[in-house]
Amino acid sequence: MRIGMFAAVIVLVCAVSTPAFAQTPAGRIKTVSGAAFIVRAGKTIAAVPGQPVFASDHLRTGNDGTLGVTLKDATRLSLGPASELRVERFVYAPESGGLSMVIKFVRGAAAYVSGRIAKLAPDAVRLETPSAIVGVRGTTVAVLVEP
Amino acid sequence: MTVARSGLLLFGALAALSVGCGGKRPATTPVDRGQSLIVLLPDPETDKVGRANVWNKAGSADLDGERKAVVTSDQQMGPVKKLSDDEVERLFGAALAALPPEPRSFTLYFEFESDDLTDQSVKLVPEILTVVKQRSDPEVAVVGHTDTMGSSKANVALAMKRAVFVGRLLVDAGLDKTTIELVSHGEAALLIPTPDETPEPRNRRVEITVR
Repeated sequence: MRIGMFAAVIVLVCAVSTPAFAQTPAGRIKTVSGAAFIVRAGKTIAAVPGQPVFASDHLRTGNDGTLGVTLKDATRLSLGPASELRVERFVYAPESGGLSMVIKFVRGAAAYVSGRIAKLAPDAVRLETPSAIVGVRGTTVAVLVEP
Repeated sequence: MTVARSGLLLFGALAALSVGCGGKRPATTPVDRGQSLIVLLPDPETDKVGRANVWNKAGSADLDGERKAVVTSDQQMGPVKKLSDDEVERLFGAALAALPPEPRSFTLYFEFESDDLTDQSVKLVPEILTVVKQRSDPEVAVVGHTDTMGSSKANVALAMKRAVFVGRLLVDAGLDKTTIELVSHGEAALLIPTPDETPEPRNRRVEITVR
């Protein structure tokens, strides 16, 4: 019985691990239309639903593209056409008090819907545009950037 | 001076938009090079409106109501204006339409010092599966919690045991196990804050979030 339960833990943990990256994903691509990309370590990858997103990834859309992401803390982010943002930092470990999120809006139109981090520690969430910093109190914000 | 100028810019840009004539600027860009526009919107599901504070070297602005917006640049913090529904739709319609479905959370409660669910919680399982099946790419986080009875180390193990128990319950009920992530928060994330060594049924729980 005990062994069975232990095996279940291992199977379930293995099922969600991503061997290619030591780092755990910050979230996943959920919606894509038209041209949408992840830029990771200088490489541009076509975005598809289900793909993991990691801290320091850039998300980018073409002129006909849109993209939506849900992060592990239930934060949602989306981009309109010809837009770009960077998941600058994402730490979600409530058990150790580690909560931190920095999203950089680089250009174009984007929407942010707050998740758990904003609820547990509002000051731990920072949205940045090239010319301002936005602090949020459990809320939805849209940003338009002309770089 | 700077505030007045950026205010004029915002007003001018929005006025141009509202008559459907972009002038020198394309109609879809009410901000100039180097500028950002930040707008507070109602929550997409509940329509609740929160608050946001915007700041830079030039100052700060409080967005404290639906569609309140501010234009910023390196040297400016514009006055707060209110966008119309049409302007929000024109500027952000595509981005808002791309938002993923709302993450849904469920809380299952346990009997004291055990990994047995309360009867009420068992009844939630079919509903959770229904929500999972409505999604094209579901992720299910199963997070175990305890109250503050016993050592924090023992509680990390107990909370994981609860998460494992619920994970198996969901798999047995038909959930694809590759969508599940098991997590223990031990006694570190109390739903009801209590001192140490306090029995509290509402803290003995597993939170399931379907993303």
